[in-house]
Amino acid sequence: MSKKFSEGANPMSTKFSRWKTILTCAFLLIAIVACDVRTASALPTSKVIAIPAFARKYGLPCSACHTAWPELNNFGQVFRDNGYQLMNDRDSPIWQNPSYFPISFRITPSWHRETTTNQAFDTGNGTFTQAGFDLSGMDLWSAGTLYKNISFVLLPSSDPTAVWHFEAAFIRFDNLKGSRWLNLRFGRFEMDNLISEKRFLFLSDNGGLYQIYHFNVPGSINNFGYGDNQIGIELAGHSANSYTRYSVSMLSSNEGGVNFTTDVVPGAPPAGRSYDVNLAFSQAFNAPGGSGESGFGLERVGAFAYIGQRPTGFLTEGGVQQVGIDNKPFYRIGFAGDLSYKNLELLPLFMYGHDNAYLGIPGLASTTPLPLGAQAPTFYGGFLEAHYYFNPQNVALARFEQVNVGQQAFSNIGDGSASNGNITAITFGYRWYPIMFSRAGVALDAEFSRVRTIGQEPLGGISTGAVADPTAATWSNSIYLGFDFDF
Amino acid sequence: MTLQKFAVTFALGSVILLMAGATRSTAQSHVNSPDPLLGTPSVATETSQIDGVTGHAESGKHLYRRFCIGCHGPDGNGQGMNAQWIDPQPRDFTEATFKCRSTPTGTLPTDDDLYNAITRGFVTTAMPSWRPLNPQQRADLVAFIKTWSPRWAKEKPGASLNIPPETPITIESILHGRELFQKLECWKCHGPAGNADGPSAATLTDSKGNPIKPFNFTTGERFMCGDTNRDLYRIFMTGLDGSPMPSFADVIQPNDAWDLVHFLRTLQVALPNQELTLWQSYKAAHGKDLKPIGPDSAGGAQ
Amino acid sequence: MRMKFVAALGLTIAMGSALMVFATPPAGSGSITGKVTYTGTPMKMKPIDMSKEPSCAKQHATPITTENVTTGPGNTLKWVVVYISAGDEGTTTPSQGVRYDQKGCEYLPHILPMEVGQQLQIFNDDQTSHNIHPLAKVNQEWNKSQPPGSPPIDTKWDKPEFISVKCNIHPWMHGYFVVLKTSHYAVTGDDGAFDIKGLPPGKYTVTAWQEQYGTKTQEVTVGAGAATANFVFTATPY
Repeated sequence: MSKKFSEGANPMSTKFSRWKTILTCAFLLIAIVACDVRTASALPTSKVIAIPAFARKYGLPCSACHTAWPELNNFGQVFRDNGYQLMNDRDSPIWQNPSYFPISFRITPSWHRETTTNQAFDTGNGTFTQAGFDLSGMDLWSAGTLYKNISFVLLPSSDPTAVWHFEAAFIRFDNLKGSRWLNLRFGRFEMDNLISEKRFLFLSDNGGLYQIYHFNVPGSINNFGYGDNQIGIELAGHSANSYTRYSVSMLSSNEGGVNFTTDVVPGAPPAGRSYDVNLAFSQAFNAPGGSGESGFGLERVGAFAYIGQRPTGFLTEGGVQQVGIDNKPFYRIGFAGDLSYKNLELLPLFMYGHDNAYLGIPGLASTTPLPLGAQAPTFYGGFLEAHYYFNPQNVALARFEQVNVGQQAFSNIGDGSASNGNITAITFGYRWYPIMFSRAGVALDAEFSRVRTIGQEPLGGISTGAVADPTAATWSNSIYLGFDFDF
Repeated sequence: MTLQKFAVTFALGSVILLMAGATRSTAQSHVNSPDPLLGTPSVATETSQIDGVTGHAESGKHLYRRFCIGCHGPDGNGQGMNAQWIDPQPRDFTEATFKCRSTPTGTLPTDDDLYNAITRGFVTTAMPSWRPLNPQQRADLVAFIKTWSPRWAKEKPGASLNIPPETPITIESILHGRELFQKLECWKCHGPAGNADGPSAATLTDSKGNPIKPFNFTTGERFMCGDTNRDLYRIFMTGLDGSPMPSFADVIQPNDAWDLVHFLRTLQVALPNQELTLWQSYKAAHGKDLKPIGPDSAGGAQ
Repeated sequence: MRMKFVAALGLTIAMGSALMVFATPPAGSGSITGKVTYTGTPMKMKPIDMSKEPSCAKQHATPITTENVTTGPGNTLKWVVVYISAGDEGTTTPSQGVRYDQKGCEYLPHILPMEVGQQLQIFNDDQTSHNIHPLAKVNQEWNKSQPPGSPPIDTKWDKPEFISVKCNIHPWMHGYFVVLKTSHYAVTGDDGAFDIKGLPPGKYTVTAWQEQYGTKTQEVTVGAGAATANFVFTATPY
C-alpha cells in the first residue's frame, strides 16, 4: 500500500465505514453458520439429487464432473479433453433418445450493492452507490458430439439487456489418428487456461473476474485479456487421465472479434491481419493427503505463454478506419496451479505482461520514433484463490489478488504515479447447491468483494467513468446474493 | 448511503440466508455423523486390497456420493435418480452379483475384479471408465461398494480362474472352436454368425426380469469385461452372473477354451483381428466344405 | 386272513403315496394331514410351444401346459408346499440327496423341496443344452451350462429360500427349489392332499406356499395321532 495517500482519503479510516465493513463481513459469516454445513452435508442424498445436458445424456450426477459446477474436477477435465465423450462407444448422438437435446441454459437473478469511491459527478466528487435486484446475462449452451470424435460447442450468450453475441462456437476433431494427443479445435473458444475464468465460482461485479486476466497498463492501447475468448485454431492433447496436457493455438490478433473487428458486438474498430500464439502446458500428479471432498487430492501445475501483436495504426478512408496496420508485439507469461489437500483447493497464479513501447502510446504510428521517456509497459501480479468444500453441495471461497505495474508507458511520469493502475482485490464467497439433480441445478451464491485501484476506474465495479482524484485510490465494493440456476 | 439503508439491506440479506439455513436445518436431525444416510454400518471397517494399495470404505463413501450416486442410488441398489433412463440398468450392489469377474459363477468377485471394472468402465453402457480417479480413490470405492451387501462379511471371494497360456492361433484351433460353438449351442442365443439372432435371443431376460440382448459379435464392439483374448476366455468360463450368460467352466477343458476364443474372434467381422484374417483365407479355399452352424437335420445338437 | 388285510392296507397306502411326495419322516407318531383347495377362478394354464426346440417338442404328443396354477378335481391345488414353519426343533441334514431332472424341456418335478445343506443333483436328460439358472436372492445366484451328456451338477443351498429356477435358452422352463429348515414338509399331488408325518406332539405353525398365490399359515396342535389342517387359497384369473 502506498504511503502517498492521506488518512482522509481512506474510507477505512472513518469509524462508520469500518463498522459497515465489519457488519458486512459478519453478515456473510452468519450466513455460513446459519447454513449449518454439517447439517447440510447430512441432507438426504436421495432427495437431492454445468451442463445438465451432459448429465442428462450420460446419467451422471453433476458432482461427477464438477468440484462444484461450473468448476471442473479431473474426471470432468478428461471428459472435456476427450471432446465431451466418455469413450464408451455410445457417445455419438445416434445412440441418444431422440427427445434428448444437448442444450442447457444458465442465468442468475440477484440482489447486489455496488459502491465505488472517488468518482466525479457534475455536482461534485463522491462515492457512487447503487443497489437493488438485478439479472445477469444468460448463457444458452449447446455442446456435445456431432459424431464419434467430432465435438462442438455453440454458446450464444447475452448481457442482462438480452443483447446477444457468440461467446463460443467451435468444432473439434478429437483423437486424430486415434491419438488423444492430437485434437484440433476451430472457431471461437476459451483458451486452455489452467485456471478458467469461465468456469469459476464467482459472480459479483468486483469478484466475478480475475483482475489480471483483463489488466492492461494504463495508457496502453492493448486490448488483450487472458480471460477473453479468442478465435482461431488450437491443437491440444492430453494423457489418458489428463494428468499431462498441452495446447498450442494460433489465433487472430483481434481479441476474438468477428467480421474482422476487435469485438463481437457491432461498432468495434477493425482488426489487423496478424496472428497470435498461445502455448499452455500442465502436469498433474497425485500427492499424499487423501482425496477429501474436493474430489481428488491431485496437484496440477502449469505454465503458459501468449505472444501476440496489435496494430498501432490504421489504413483509413475518409477518416474511417478500415484495417489495422503497423503491428507491435506483446506477451504474457506465467505459472498457475490447482492444488488440493483433503477438502481444500488452492489456485495460485502468477503472470508477467510486457507490451511493446509503441502500444503504450495511443495514436503513435510505429514508423514514428518513440518520444522521450517512452518505455515498454509491463505489469506483474497474480492471485491466490482458495476453496473449501464441506461436501459436493457447499463450498466456501476466498481470493486475494494483486496486480502491479512494473513499467508505466512513460518513465517521466510525476512521482507517485509509478503505481498508477495498481490493483489490490480481495473477495469472499459462499455457494450452496440445494439441489444438484442431473436434470437441473441451483446454487445460492453470496459474495463480498473489495477492490482498490490506484488512479484508474475499477475493472469490474460500477463507475461514472471519471476518477475524481487520480492520485488517490479508488475503492470499489460489491455485496452480492444471487440464485444461479441452470437447466 | 445512510445507516438506515445499510441496515435494511443487511437485514434483508441476513433474512434470506437465515431462511435458507433454517430450511436445511429442519431437514435433518443427525448433526453428528457426516453422511448418515449413505451406507451400512460396515462402512467403518470394510477395506479392500489392490496390489499395494489399501482402500477404506469411509473414504469411499464420500467418493460414492460425488461420483456414483446418480445411477447406483443412495441405497446402492441401482435405483439412482437417473436409473430409469439407463439401459442396461446400473448394477445393484445389494445383491453382490457381478458380471465381470475372474471367480466362478455364484461366488463373490475379488477386489481386483471390482477395481478393474471401475477402471475400465463398461463400454456401450452409461458406466464410464473411472481411470481419472487415482488408484487410492478407486480402491476406496471398491471397499465402499462391498458394504452394500452382507455377503461380503460372511463369504470369501471365489478362487480366481487359472488361465493357462494362450495356445497358438491356428486354423485347427479355430475349427475346433467352431465345433465347440456348435456343440455347446452358443448359437441358440448368439446366432450362427454371432449376430445375436439365435432362436432363444428374443426372449432373454436378465435376473431382474429386464429384457436383455445377447452379445452381437459382428458389430465389432468391445466386450464389456475387457477386449483382450484373456478377457474373452474369462467371460464364458466364469459366466456373466445376473445375465443369461452361463458359466462353461464345467464343460470346457482349459485348452479347448482357447480354441473357442479364437473362433469367436472370427465372428467379429467389423474388428480386424488375426484370427479373422486367418479364417477368411481358409474360408475362401474350403468354405463350402464347412457344415453350417445351427440345428442339424436330426433335430438335436451334435 | 388278518395278514391279507394288513397286506391290502399296506398296498393301498403304497398306491396312495404314489400320488404324494414324502420327506423321510423322523421320529414322532403325530401327523398333519389335509387338503389344499381354492375359491374363485384360477388362471388358465396355457400350452407351451416348443417348436424352437424340436428335440423336445417331439417328446410330447400333446403340448404340456404351464404349471403356475395346477388344479385338480374338487378345486384342489397341486404343487403346494406345506411345511412346518415354527415349533419344529432343529434337524440334521439328511444324507440322502434330492434329484432334479430336465427332461423334454421340462423341470421334473416342477417344485422340488429340500433341506438346507441337502445335496441336490441336477440332470440333463435331453438332447439339447440347458443352462441351469437358479435366481436366488438370499443364496448365491449362479448360472451354469449343461450340455447333453454332461455329468449331473452337484450343489446344495445354505439358507432357506424359495428359489425360482429358469433356463435362459428355453424361456418356458420354470420351476422352484424350495429350501427349508425343517424336515417336516410335503407337496400336494393331483388330489391336493398332503400328509406331514413323524411329528412329536406339540403346537406347530404350518405354512402352505403356492408359487402364484403366496402363503397361508395356520396354528395346529398335534397329539399322538393325525391332526387336520386344510388350506384355502383365493384364486385370481391373472
